Amino acid sequence: MSEACYHCGDKIHGKGIHFDDKDFCCIGCKNVYQLLSNSALGKFYQLEKGAGQKPQSGTLEKYAFLEVEKIRKKFVDFEDQDHARVTLFLPQIHCSSCIYLLENLSRIDKRILSCQVNFAKREAVINFETTLKLSELAHLLDQIGYTPNFGDRKTSEQKKDRSMLYKLGFAGFAFGSIMLWSFPEYLGIEKDNPEFRSFTSYLSLIVSLPVFFYSASDYFMSAYKALKFKRLNLDVPITIGILALYCQSLYSIFINAGPGYMDSFAGFIFFLLIGKWFQSKTYISLSFERDYKAYFPVAVTRIVMDTEEIVEIEDIHIDDILLMRNDEVIPCDSILESEHARIDYSFVTGESEHISKKKGDFIYAGGKLIGQRSALKVMKESDRSHLTSLWNEVRSEKEKSSRSIYQDKMSVYFLAALLIIAAAASIVWFFIDSSRVMEIVVAVLIVACPCALALSAPFTYGNTMRLLGRKGLYLKNTSVIERINTITDIVFDKTGTLTSSSQYHVEYVGDELNEDEKKAICSLANSSTHPLSRSIVNQFIEQQISPSESIDNFEELTGKGLQGKINGVRLQLGSSQFVGVHQTEKNESTSHVRIGEKCGTFRFSSELRNGIENLPKSLDRYALHIISGDGEQDAALLESIFPKSTSIHFHQTPEDKLNYVKNLQANDKKVLMIGDGLNDSGALGIADVGIAVSEEAFRFTPSSDAIIDAEALTRLQPFLQTSAFSKNILRICLAFSLSYNITGLSFALTGMLTPLVAAVIMPVSSITVVCISTFGVLLYGRFSRRKKT
Amino acid sequence: MGMIYIMLTVSLMIALFFLVSFFWATKTGQFDDDFAPSVRILFDDETNNNSKTQTDGSTEI
Repeated sequence: MSEACYHCGDKIHGKGIHFDDKDFCCIGCKNVYQLLSNSALGKFYQLEKGAGQKPQSGTLEKYAFLEVEKIRKKFVDFEDQDHARVTLFLPQIHCSSCIYLLENLSRIDKRILSCQVNFAKREAVINFETTLKLSELAHLLDQIGYTPNFGDRKTSEQKKDRSMLYKLGFAGFAFGSIMLWSFPEYLGIEKDNPEFRSFTSYLSLIVSLPVFFYSASDYFMSAYKALKFKRLNLDVPITIGILALYCQSLYSIFINAGPGYMDSFAGFIFFLLIGKWFQSKTYISLSFERDYKAYFPVAVTRIVMDTEEIVEIEDIHIDDILLMRNDEVIPCDSILESEHARIDYSFVTGESEHISKKKGDFIYAGGKLIGQRSALKVMKESDRSHLTSLWNEVRSEKEKSSRSIYQDKMSVYFLAALLIIAAAASIVWFFIDSSRVMEIVVAVLIVACPCALALSAPFTYGNTMRLLGRKGLYLKNTSVIERINTITDIVFDKTGTLTSSSQYHVEYVGDELNEDEKKAICSLANSSTHPLSRSIVNQFIEQQISPSESIDNFEELTGKGLQGKINGVRLQLGSSQFVGVHQTEKNESTSHVRIGEKCGTFRFSSELRNGIENLPKSLDRYALHIISGDGEQDAALLESIFPKSTSIHFHQTPEDKLNYVKNLQANDKKVLMIGDGLNDSGALGIADVGIAVSEEAFRFTPSSDAIIDAEALTRLQPFLQTSAFSKNILRICLAFSLSYNITGLSFALTGMLTPLVAAVIMPVSSITVVCISTFGVLLYGRFSRRKKT
Repeated sequence: MGMIYIMLTVSLMIALFFLVSFFWATKTGQFDDDFAPSVRILFDDETNNNSKTQTDGSTEI
């Protein structure tokens, strides 16, 4: 009996499900395994252990909207008589096993002809016969754990990123070629052969032209823009260096004095672009900028003249009547037409308890409908609902660039020092040999160029980002690292952040149950993947009750509950109406159970994530705050873990959270906000650093600066420390690059800056800086891992 | 001695050829996904009738 589910790798609670000599945590995983092994796809499990996804319990009905012609057209790339091709976004793709499984999809259903995975974009391009309906295809993917996300219609093209590769490619070609042709020059061989020298010089010139005008263009634009706004960034001294280098070389070639510094020029641009390219390699697969469309459904059912039709949410008008099913997100502010409904607003307000509404009540968009179908009358269109207007307002306010603040500060000192040295040099040389003044000044400008400095920040921060990403914290860009180092206060959201949205504390109230009855209930609950059921099972297991009974006539009714027969006794577990029990407690998360003649109630309350107890202690350098949309029911729990100085607030609406952060910032505090990214997206946006907690990193998160895996949250303090350390690495790199600049300056000032010297100094300095930053961060990662017990 | 001019020119042509291939490969999207192809080549060709399952990783534009 192994500890981990063979399919998804999660820990198995209790006995689990035993099938085919393997153990699974739940029926869903076992079903996927069965499907895969029947289709001869067992290799899936050999590529990576526990790579499977727990499938969701979705029904085919969920995808019915894909059959609506207008909606279908949006997703199908190509279609003819017999075949169609569709590109689907599958955010759960995360490893080589996923690629294996998806590309062999045709073995599960022969109507699928081929499938190709684009791992970077997390997409699958599927060719299939038109006898297979798109909704069936989506359902199949849902069943094996790769639920397609239709709401995420990313329109950004990757073509823009490719220009970086073109520029880099050409600069590399130019660098290699020109250096090759310059070799005789270094060795002083062909000094007496002016024809040869001019041949190679002009060849170098021709090749360098596109480098100057195309590859280096970004730096010119950036420097120009900065100067236009009377600001300085690092690209200004870089541009000065480039211009000095290029113009001197042009001059030198035209008067036939030699090939100038064309090789250093090309190499210079090449190394700079490598730094830029490295910095731009972020997590394309994770999106930090999704908007409300990815959260709301693509389409809903509308009732028009007593017939149901499926429409896209953009086509919903005021006064339409919508028919919502269990677990569907309500896309528009509306009024309830049915008699009763229960709404789960945890995503919007953070309240973990379901709200009961009756006919005529106003319902905000963003809530999830729980239970039986209900009809709603639309009051506001979806993009103008309360929730989306809150998101939109915040996003337009925030303006943070991804430029390194550190580098830009350095550039001021650099320029100042440069100008002083150049002025001093020209004065001195004026008296020594005034004909060489120009040459010396230019040499000083060339050598003072902060190439190594320009490389140190991208590589240090880029490597730090990767290290953090491997450990579970994904940053949007490198400027986040710098902002983290300035943090004074940390604000936590409660629901979904400190507490798990999938683990609950369970309390039982009702008729006494004996051992056998408890075992029976545990076994029934074990057959469901619903988080509430799993919590019940976990609770029983802690009391040494195992889900070992077999169930007859098992049925799971969505929105209602579970039922079955164990040892001849009939059991039901679910909502009060289903079980037939009068609900005495209002507005609480409860599940009712009836076994034989007895009945009772399970009460759920939120539970802190594993290991959170140690987190506040490690963060004693910072002022801590907790703001929650919930009531005070968990106050005692929080107070027991957090220090007395923590300020805790309850009943906070999304606007309250936003204002709280704003107030802190008005008092000159730098705020790190940690939330689940949904009901606190406003606060996350306005905080200096906003981190969204995610149970699956590939799910939806609107505007945050970083995403942290739920189980990595306890390691927050080491993450913050890593960011601080990377600043030290940056300082070391700065020291090194300065030393190279000074060495080069000594050559330039004494008039000995030959092309050979320049060509040697620059690559050496660049490579040193890259090595220091890469190995520095790498070793820190290894070393700190060994230190942890 | 004149030989070297010819050799330099030829080597430039060859280098240009590789540069153009690089541009073409980038344009047709071969560098967009750098993880999947590395994994894909390690999949075995399964010996069963269903030859349609083999994808050769070529991208159509």
